[in-house]
Amino acid sequence: MTQVFSVGTYLPCWGSALRRQAGDDEDALTLAVEAGRAVLDGAAGAERVIVVSRELPLLEGGNAAVLLAGLGLDPELEVSERLGGAPAALDALTSARPRTLVIGADLEPAGAGAALTGDQGLSLRATARLARSLPVRTRDATGTVHDYGDPRLLRERGVLASVAAAGVEKPVAVAGVDRKQAGSLCAGLPPELPTAGASAPFFALAAMVRDGTTGTLLAIEQASLTGVVVETGTVRVHRREPEARPVPKGKYTPGAEIPISLAAYDRAFEPKLRWEAARHPGRDELDFPPRYHVGRDGSLSSDYTLVPLPRTGTVYTGVTVHVPVPGLRTPYSLVIVELDDVEVRALVKVTGTEPGTVGIGDRGRMVLRRVAVRSGVPDYGYAFEPEEAA
Amino acid sequence: MRKVAVVGAGMTPFAEHFALGIKDLVPMAFAECAASVDKGLDTSDIQAAWFGELSTTDGFPAGILADTLDLPDIPVTRVENACATGNDAVRNALFGIASGAFDVALVVGADKVRESASKDTFWEWAGMTRDMAWDYPLGLVAPANFALHVTRYLHESPATKEHMAMVAVKNHHHAVSNPKAQLRFDITVEQALDAPTVVAPFGLYDCTPQSDGAAALLLVSEDVADRYTDRPVWIRGVGLGLDRVMHQHKRDMTTFPATVKAAKQALGMAGLTPADVDVAEVHDCFTGVELISYEDLGFAERFGAYKLVEAEATKVGGALPVNPSGGLKAKGHPPGATGVAQCVEIFEQLRGEAANQVDGARIGLAHNIGGPTAVSAVTVLEGPGA
Repeated sequence: MTQVFSVGTYLPCWGSALRRQAGDDEDALTLAVEAGRAVLDGAAGAERVIVVSRELPLLEGGNAAVLLAGLGLDPELEVSERLGGAPAALDALTSARPRTLVIGADLEPAGAGAALTGDQGLSLRATARLARSLPVRTRDATGTVHDYGDPRLLRERGVLASVAAAGVEKPVAVAGVDRKQAGSLCAGLPPELPTAGASAPFFALAAMVRDGTTGTLLAIEQASLTGVVVETGTVRVHRREPEARPVPKGKYTPGAEIPISLAAYDRAFEPKLRWEAARHPGRDELDFPPRYHVGRDGSLSSDYTLVPLPRTGTVYTGVTVHVPVPGLRTPYSLVIVELDDVEVRALVKVTGTEPGTVGIGDRGRMVLRRVAVRSGVPDYGYAFEPEEAA
Repeated sequence: MRKVAVVGAGMTPFAEHFALGIKDLVPMAFAECAASVDKGLDTSDIQAAWFGELSTTDGFPAGILADTLDLPDIPVTRVENACATGNDAVRNALFGIASGAFDVALVVGADKVRESASKDTFWEWAGMTRDMAWDYPLGLVAPANFALHVTRYLHESPATKEHMAMVAVKNHHHAVSNPKAQLRFDITVEQALDAPTVVAPFGLYDCTPQSDGAAALLLVSEDVADRYTDRPVWIRGVGLGLDRVMHQHKRDMTTFPATVKAAKQALGMAGLTPADVDVAEVHDCFTGVELISYEDLGFAERFGAYKLVEAEATKVGGALPVNPSGGLKAKGHPPGATGVAQCVEIFEQLRGEAANQVDGARIGLAHNIGGPTAVSAVTVLEGPGA
């Protein structure tokens, strides 16, 4: 039995209501961070993190550090990266110890969900688990996808055969299959879910809490499934699901790779991903980015501490780049944001709105995004999301 | 300090010189400079050289200058100070002569922006001006670098995009009669306003082109000036000012403090005021920057630049002609050469020999602002007969 203390969801604003598309500046990690921050908002801290996805960007290492920094969690926490879809995410949740943050993230359709387990809350009890192989879709290590192309086979020999074999009672919600199939499997009208992968069970839980539904939640991926019984209980739900809007027209200009210095990446990583400034002893002003100082007498001050920066602010000035820039999609907007209550400004890209729509005086929040991909390396940092978009 | 004079000045046309390398452009500019020395020049008189080049096209800049001009026995110093490189090279040579270390020094500025594929130019040049971790990945292209300022300036001052267009029209018109200019055609305010947007609020005609070119000046001490000319142009003042490098650290983005500092130094050294200036070459890489610079240089009151444009005061024929050469906007902008070429224009103006002559010009000023809007250099010159 697992108790879920809170559930969070995140959908990018791009695409259609039931099929969201990740922005150019989003990937599975930034989606996971959005969902994770929604869950952690005001909640007691997590003691370990499990992230489930089939889309994690840094397959040779580095996902955990980005995730913990983006979530503002201690870099000493254990992070498990699990390759999987909806069943794996539900498995992770039902087997999690209290104070585990479980996150699922998907890119197509895009969305992320998360749940924080606790000593009390919504009770989940695992009732079925079945692993069967019917690889109608495959993807190899180089990313090449093969689709077998027989939806009826998947439905008959995958989903229905597994549901029958598992012997689960009729579900009230199904994650991982389309709306029509979910409807045919369920007792009543199941909630419509915006994603079909690892994040789908979290959207299902959020919907069940909203509707006050209890009963079986099934998570299915090809011919494998996991079933849980969702019982009553108090749970906090934070949904960051802005209105869907069309992907802005833009043009990607191919070109040379944008170079990166990993030495510079490494030096900047903590303040850049944790959104922190330097405070030197005896100095009132914060330094962002952090830097050393020398005093009037030439003495070096290098022992600063990093302090969190506010994540809301007002645009001081901004521009929109229309001219093609090799390696980037144009147009894009850049703004200098005056952060609330500190004498600190930041130069950042704008996200979550049509380029060219943000002006001086607009308010918004700072969100973790993939600012660029530089010579194959995702370069994470913060972007400004205007209030209207949130 | 000894007085220092400019006794020769020359430059290549500014253009996309695909067919000419840096090793061609440098001797071309130098030869034109040498030819302008009234009483002639023996290159063995040259005791030192300062070479302004931002990039390192074809390698080691100081060596390229020494090699291409066959001056292997003199000290050559390469100056790189972002877009203030040219006027800073002048400044360094001035101190070399004024101190008594040398009597005759050469200043050359050159750059070849169009040497790399246009798709690579932005990221290559951005590497010279941006913090690699924090700013570089944002795609802060050069026009955006300045547009951050101009957007705020248009927000706070009465100036509008129409005023920027009027600057573009003026400088394009000035360039028509300058054989060295890259964009020698007139445009209208409507054309400027209707042009494709590059980086809002800049349209195509608000922006300098990408240019190749070189320019050269021969500087001498007052002790030897009469060996070269009876019409020396005196360098009355030089100044160099810096500002915080990152845009997020500049508190008031409606002004360039670097320019204010550089102008104060240069005019202070000259014992002159902005009102004494008869002709100016002002750093108009983007039209809005010319407006802000009127105020920073003291030609206009704060937020009063638009009035000068409306009154056509900065056209040739007006009270204070600015950029009679066409400016960076229309003459072109190979960064290392730009400031030196401004002084070439002022040299010709003060000797009454300019293509687009300002009547009776006696005091001239050249101004650069550059890099991440964090460095400015100003040179004040006075015509013969001082």
